[in-house]
Amino acid sequence: MITIESARVRFASTEGGAPMVALADVSLTIARGEFLCILGPSGCGKTTLLKAMMGLVPLDSGQIRIGSHAVTGPGADRAMVFQNYALLPWADVTANIAFGLELRGASREECARQAAHWIKAVGLGGFEHHLPRQLSGGMQQRVGLARALAVEPEILLMDEPFGAVDAQTRRLLQEDLLDLMQRSGKTVVFVTHSMEEAVLLGDRVALMSPRPGRVREVIEVGLTRPRTASVEREPRFTELKEYLWERLRAMRDEAADA
Amino acid sequence: MPDGAGRARVAGLLRLGGWAGGELVAAVPLLAGLAVWELAGWMLGFRFLPPFSRVLATAVGMIAGGELMAPLGASLLSLAAGYLPAAGLGVTLGLLMGRSRGLEFVLSPYLNAFMATPRIALVPILYIVLGLNRAVQAVVVFLGAFFVIVWSTMRGVRSADRDHVEMARAFGATKRQVMWKILLPSALPLTLAGLRLGIGQAIRAMIAAEMFIAVFGLGALLRTYGGRFDAERLLAVLLVVVAVALVCALAAARLDRHLTAWSRTPR
Amino acid sequence: MAWEGAALTSGSLLLPTVEATAWRLIELAGTGELWHALWVSNHAALLGFALAGAIGVPLGLAMGRWPSADWFFDPYLNVMLATPMPAAIPVVIMVAGLGLPARVLVVVLFALATIVFHARAGFRLVGWELLEMSSAFGASEWQLWRKVVLRGAAPGIWLGVRLGAIRAVSAMVTIELLLVAVGMGRLILDAQGSLDAAGLFASVMVIVAESVLLAHLFQRFEQDASQAAMGMAAE
Repeated sequence: MITIESARVRFASTEGGAPMVALADVSLTIARGEFLCILGPSGCGKTTLLKAMMGLVPLDSGQIRIGSHAVTGPGADRAMVFQNYALLPWADVTANIAFGLELRGASREECARQAAHWIKAVGLGGFEHHLPRQLSGGMQQRVGLARALAVEPEILLMDEPFGAVDAQTRRLLQEDLLDLMQRSGKTVVFVTHSMEEAVLLGDRVALMSPRPGRVREVIEVGLTRPRTASVEREPRFTELKEYLWERLRAMRDEAADA
Repeated sequence: MPDGAGRARVAGLLRLGGWAGGELVAAVPLLAGLAVWELAGWMLGFRFLPPFSRVLATAVGMIAGGELMAPLGASLLSLAAGYLPAAGLGVTLGLLMGRSRGLEFVLSPYLNAFMATPRIALVPILYIVLGLNRAVQAVVVFLGAFFVIVWSTMRGVRSADRDHVEMARAFGATKRQVMWKILLPSALPLTLAGLRLGIGQAIRAMIAAEMFIAVFGLGALLRTYGGRFDAERLLAVLLVVVAVALVCALAAARLDRHLTAWSRTPR
Repeated sequence: MAWEGAALTSGSLLLPTVEATAWRLIELAGTGELWHALWVSNHAALLGFALAGAIGVPLGLAMGRWPSADWFFDPYLNVMLATPMPAAIPVVIMVAGLGLPARVLVVVLFALATIVFHARAGFRLVGWELLEMSSAFGASEWQLWRKVVLRGAAPGIWLGVRLGAIRAVSAMVTIELLLVAVGMGRLILDAQGSLDAAGLFASVMVIVAESVLLAHLFQRFEQDASQAAMGMAAE
């Protein structure tokens, strides 16, 4: 279980003015095995919140706990998938996937074995020795996902992982992610700015608003699992999507009035 | 119809032919230049312009006769004695400066001043401080290569992608691991560029210093034959100097291509 | 500071103190000896540098624009880039004697390849997309050069000019120290010959100062040109 209590993060402003409040008093509880989507317009602090859970961004006040342990830095129980893939350009697919294991001092054979397993799991067979620049964006993100899964984390933190790929590839990646996660029982926190994506993937959707970054409400998705992309035809899907769109638009009007 | 293996062999031969043809086409301008030199040498009869073939023959004769061996050996020795420490220390200091803004702030004015200064101007000082000996040659080579290597390596470390560093931290990398697994490989392309620039500058500084003191190495030989107006031998030595420089440059370029293929954009 | 400390503690005749060097510098400047030497040296450097720029920039841009020009000159450029030019000085002297033309020629040889190389690289940075787009809008060759190439390639050109200027100063000092003892080289050699360590350091310092000053000056141009070129890309 992840518990976020009154988390606050401020960034020094670049113009030397008042510091920018990225997160103002965010509290949230994420159950073990849950798939939580964090949805919000740009600048609402969703990526900051995710990085704070990863232990990459320190809190100014408040606390994030995993089980009973407070997060003070990155840990073996969590792994992250990055928006821009963050693959090492000099390492081939195998070495990129094994990167996390290598840092933890796994043996060469162990790295190779795990990498081979995950290459197959994410559907990259035949590309073992390709360099990132030889792969399409979608394939690069499959490498990013495999790298995170290879360290066998309990919690997977995903930062707009499919934001930079084209619509068709994105659809395929979403289906494959659903397939992989529904069997694993891992806790997933998934940041996105797409309403469809949030409803399609999540058990719950946390809606955030900007300036200052806050969680405005948490919505139960309530669609049955295992899910496939066909849930998009269900009335509940459309209803939720429209509700989220209303809320996002209201947020924009608020910002315009202020 | 040829079988698969046969077809592959034919394709291989064609490619080989194409490759040799490509090299030949690239060499045409140089060959044309040499032909002009050769003709001008015979027709104009200037004392300072002997035909290329005679210069080449002289160079071969000087190498075969052993006349060139001692100076060439002395030059190569001082080159190695100066360049290798410059590469080792230069890369190390560059990495340190790349990691520490404070160190960069303190040292970069010196770095910039040394890079802009003609190294040859320091040679008289070096000879007066260190005396007339071969170690000075190594020091000159070192100074020729060192600063550009430091500078390029530092820029290389600074060119590391912050997202890569953050990713490594997220996977629990220690500071040491970030250094070895992220910063070092990221710095490699620019470091190698620095090593390539460095070898060129090292050879230039070496020849200039040898000519200045006129006692050791190929530079001294250039000075001697220049003083005698012996064009054939002068140009023969120059040919050898250019050959040494080209071999070093090509070897460095090859190493660079081999190690940093990943950093070039695909075609 | 480190220099002063070393000089004071070693008490050496060979390593002068900063103070002694400064006094000697003022002395040299006062007699006009320094100014005359600087003029003699820079006269050749300036002529050679201007000549190298006048040949190098158009040649480099042409090599970027037309593949046939690149094919022909590229091997020569590579040989010139790799050749340690000090080695060519005796040949130049055999051909052109010991006068001003020889010194100008040496400066050209030192500076030319760098200027050509960076002008070509600058041109290549302009990118074919921009060129194609411009010709698609019906720009003539002349307009292409004036509006796109010269502005886009300017950062590369200025970088080449800056490095070329450093090479020109290096050429000037090298030839004066090695074979034709005039100008600043003469000052250095005289100081070395008479074991006037302070004079030697003072003369070298003047050259260092000139190089650093030139490098800074051209860096300004380079930065302005980069900003202008980025503005162009943004348009």
